Amino acid sequence: MSINAMLDRGELEAIVNQALQSSKADETEVLISAGDESLTRYTHNFIHESVSERNCHLNVRAVIGKKTGVASTNKLDAAGISDVVQRAFDIARLSTEDKNFPGLPGPSEGVVDLPDAFDADTATAAPEVRASSVLEITKVMRLHNLYAAGYVATRHDCVGVANSKGVKRFFESSDSAINIKAIGSNSSGYAEGFARAFGELDAAVLAERAAKKAIDSKDPVALDPGKYTVVLEPPAVREFLGYLSWIGFGAQPFEEGSSFMSGRIGQKIVGDNVTIRDDFAHPLGDGIPFDFEGVPRQKVGLIENGIARSVVYDSYYAAKLGHANTGHALPAPNPDGPMPLNVVLDPGAREQQDIIKDIKHGVLVSRTWYIRLVDQKKTIITGMTRDGVFLIERGHITRGLKNMRFNESIIDALGRCEVAAMPVRSENLVVPAVRIDDFHFSSGTEF
Amino acid sequence: MQFDAEAQRALDTAASLGAQYADARFGESRDEHIEVRNGLVSAISDSDSAGFSVRALVDGAWGFASSATVTNEEIDRVAKLAVDIARASAKVKGQGISLLPVGSFTDTYKTPFEIDPASVTLNDRVSHLLAAEREVSAVKGITVGRAWMDIWRTKKSFASTDGSRIEQELLQCGSALHALAVGESDVQDRMFPGTGGLYQTGGYEIIKKANLLENARRIGEEAVALLTAEQCPSGTMDLILSGDQVSLQIHESIGHALELDRVLGWEANFSGTSFATLDKLGTFRYGSEHVNVVCDMTCPLALATYKYDDEGTPAKSVYLIRDGKLVGYMAGRDTAQVAGVEPGGCVRAEYWGRLPMIRIGNVNLEPGSVPFENLFDDVKQGIYMESNRSWSIDDKRLNFQFGCQIGYEIKDGKKGKILKNPTYAGMTPTFWRSCDAIGNAASWVPWGTPNCGKGEPLQTARSCQGAAPTRFRGVEVGVGYEH
Repeated sequence: MSINAMLDRGELEAIVNQALQSSKADETEVLISAGDESLTRYTHNFIHESVSERNCHLNVRAVIGKKTGVASTNKLDAAGISDVVQRAFDIARLSTEDKNFPGLPGPSEGVVDLPDAFDADTATAAPEVRASSVLEITKVMRLHNLYAAGYVATRHDCVGVANSKGVKRFFESSDSAINIKAIGSNSSGYAEGFARAFGELDAAVLAERAAKKAIDSKDPVALDPGKYTVVLEPPAVREFLGYLSWIGFGAQPFEEGSSFMSGRIGQKIVGDNVTIRDDFAHPLGDGIPFDFEGVPRQKVGLIENGIARSVVYDSYYAAKLGHANTGHALPAPNPDGPMPLNVVLDPGAREQQDIIKDIKHGVLVSRTWYIRLVDQKKTIITGMTRDGVFLIERGHITRGLKNMRFNESIIDALGRCEVAAMPVRSENLVVPAVRIDDFHFSSGTEF
Repeated sequence: MQFDAEAQRALDTAASLGAQYADARFGESRDEHIEVRNGLVSAISDSDSAGFSVRALVDGAWGFASSATVTNEEIDRVAKLAVDIARASAKVKGQGISLLPVGSFTDTYKTPFEIDPASVTLNDRVSHLLAAEREVSAVKGITVGRAWMDIWRTKKSFASTDGSRIEQELLQCGSALHALAVGESDVQDRMFPGTGGLYQTGGYEIIKKANLLENARRIGEEAVALLTAEQCPSGTMDLILSGDQVSLQIHESIGHALELDRVLGWEANFSGTSFATLDKLGTFRYGSEHVNVVCDMTCPLALATYKYDDEGTPAKSVYLIRDGKLVGYMAGRDTAQVAGVEPGGCVRAEYWGRLPMIRIGNVNLEPGSVPFENLFDDVKQGIYMESNRSWSIDDKRLNFQFGCQIGYEIKDGKKGKILKNPTYAGMTPTFWRSCDAIGNAASWVPWGTPNCGKGEPLQTARSCQGAAPTRFRGVEVGVGYEH
C-alpha cells in the first residue's frame, strides 16, 4: 500500500477483488471509498484550524437468499478484509428475509465518462496553497476594514463498486471550495465558490463580493414581518431544493404517501416556469456517473414545466414498484431509500439584476440558515436569513435589513416565482437565483 | 498504554520538526445499528474504524493531520504534515494561539455498564425491535412503523508533549420507536422515548429500560389521532414542555450559545456566533432565578460522560448559568486562554480522524421541586407540548422557532384535548426569563442528543441535556402556519 500517496486504482481494485473472492455469500457487493480531504479554516482574518485527513472505507453487503447484512471497516490489510467479509456474512445469516429484495443488480452498459472530474493539482494541493488563498481573502478584508471567517478546501476522492454478478465501476475525482463571510461592525456578507479544479476559483473576487455585501448592508434596519417579494440567491435556493430532495424526490416517501409528489405524477404542482431535474453530468456539478450499487446513474426529470414527472429509484424500489432503476442508490444499508444527489433547477431568461429592476418593494436574501421542516406534506419550512439581507425599492438595492425568520411552503412558493438565468454550483446542486412573490417573513431578530 | 511507542514516535517527530506542543490520538470505534421497518429488517450494519491523528502547535498556529494507516512511515508523514500545516497557518496567524496548562495525567477509564451488548445475540436484538414495531404497526391507520437501536464502542489513546498518557473505553447505547401516519393531506408522526430515542452511556440496559414495547401502542394511536386533531391555536399562552423538548431547547439556546469558540467567532461562517458575548459574563440575566444550568462531564448515564476530553483535560462540572445569571462557558485550552476562564473538559472529536473542538457536553438544567402533574395547577389557559419535530434558531442563538410532535390544551389546570402541529417561538433570554417552575428530580432525565453537527469538515457529536418538564409564561405559540 502506498504511503506517500493515497491508494491508487490498482490497490483499491485489489482490495475489492480480495473481498469478493473471500465471500461465501450467495451474492456480494463491495463499495470502497478512499479520500484525502484538506480544509483550512479562518476567522478574524487568521487561520485557526487547518486539517488533513486520509482514510479509506470498505463496505461489504452479503446476500444469502433474501437476507442481507452489511459490515464496513477501514482496516484494509488481509485480516481486516477477511474479517469484514465474514461479519457481513454472519449478519446476513442471522437477518430476516425481505421478500421484496430483488438481488444485487447485474452489469449494464451506459456509464458516462466525466473527463473533467479530476484535477491533479487540486488533488495534491499543499497546505501553503490554501493558506495563500486565505491570505488573499484577508488582504481584501483589511482594505475594507472588515474581517472574514470561512474556509478553503481541496479534496481527492476515489470510489469503486463491484459485485459478484460482474458489476465493476471506478471513479476518481477532485473538488474544491471557498467559503467567505465578511464581517463588519454590524453587518455581514457571504460568498462561496465550488469547482472540481481549484484553479477555477478566484479567492480575491469572491472576497470582494462578500465584502461588498457587508459594506452595503451596514447599519441594517428592521423590516416588519409580512409578505414580501423576495429574491433568493443561489445559496438560499440550494437549501430549499435540498429539502425537496430529502422529503419528496425519492421513491420511499413517494410510496409511503408522505411526499408532495405522491399521487400527483402528471399533475401541475408548481409554476410552469419551473423545471427541476437530477443531472449527475451537469458541467458545473460534482456528480458520480454511477450509484452506490454500481448502476449507471440516469438523468431524471423530477418536475418539468411545473408538472410532477418522476421520483428517483434504486434497485430495491424499482423492483418493488415496477419502475426502471434510475441509478440513485445510496450506500447500503440504506433504510431511507434512494435520493437525488445532483439536483439542477433549470435557468430562466432574465438575469438576477434585471429581475430586481422590476421589484417595487422587496427583499434580497443572500443566504439562509437553520432551515427545518415544519410540515412535510405541505412542504412548510422555517428558517432564518443570514449574511446579507437587503431592501429593494423601485428596482434598486437601497439598504441592509436585519435578519428575519420565514415560514413558507416550498411547493407553494415555486408556484409564484420567476427563475433567473445564470445558474451556479452551490454545494452539490446547480441553481440560479429565484424571485418569489408573497414570501412570508414571520419575525425578526436583533442583528 | 496501547500505541505508546507509536504515540511517542509521533510526538518526537513533531517536536523535532519544531512543534512547541503536540498531541497524538489513536482511536478505534465499532458502531452497530439495527433498524426494522414494517415488519422487516431494513438495516443491520456493523462498522469499525481505526486510525490516528497528530495535532501540532507551531509558532502560535495549529496544524492537524490524520490517517487510517498506523505504520512508522505513515506516523512520520502525518506528524510532518501536521507541522507543515501549522507552519503554513502561521503565515496568517493573528495574535497566535497559546494553551492554558491543565496538568499531565497517566490514567485509564472505562464506561461502567450492567449488560455487555456483546452478550445479547443479534437474534434477540432484532426480535426486541420487531416486537415493538409490530405493536406500533398493528394500530389501524399507521403507514410506517420503525424501531432501531445503536451500540457504540470507542477506544481512545491520548498522548501529549505535556506528558499525558490516557486510555479510555466508552460505551454508549440507544434505541427508538417511530410511528408514521399518512392521511389524505396530512402526515403525522410520533417518536419514543422522547424526541429521537433514549441514548445514554452504558450497556444494553439502556436499550432495555427504554420500554419500547410497553409504549408502542400508545405512540401509534397518538400518531393516528393527530391526523384528525384540532390545529394548535395561535396566540400568547403559558407553555409546559416535556423534559425531552426542554432538552432540545437547552441544546439550541443555551448549549450552543455558551460554546466559547462560538462566542469568540471561531464558528462564524458556519454554525454561527453567540449573543452571549464575554462582556456579559457574570452580569447577564440569561433566565429567571429558577434556571440553573451546569455542564457536568462526569454525570452518570449522560451521553457525553468520560474522564478526559480529547486534549487531555479532566472532565469537570462547571456552572454555566446560576440563579439565572450567566457565569460560565464551555472552553478548550486555547479558547480558555483568550477568555480567562477554565477549560471544563469539553473538547472532543467525532472520531480519531477529526480535529477536536469544543462540543456541548452534558449541559443539564437542574431539577426544581414541582411534581410534573403540579406544573399544570397554575395554568388557566395554555398548551403542553411533547417531543420535538422541528427546531430552528438564528446564527447568534436568539430568534428560535420549535415545533413539537403533539400538544395538549391546558384549561384551568387540566390537561385536555390533543392538538396537532404545536409550535412556539421566542427570543432566548426573554424565553428563559419566563420560566417559573421546573419539574422535580423524579421527572428529570439525562436526555441524549446523538447527532449534533458542528465544524468544518462537519463533525457530529453526542451530547446530553438533562431536563425535567418545565413551565414558561406568556410564550408565542401556534406559529408557522399563518401564511
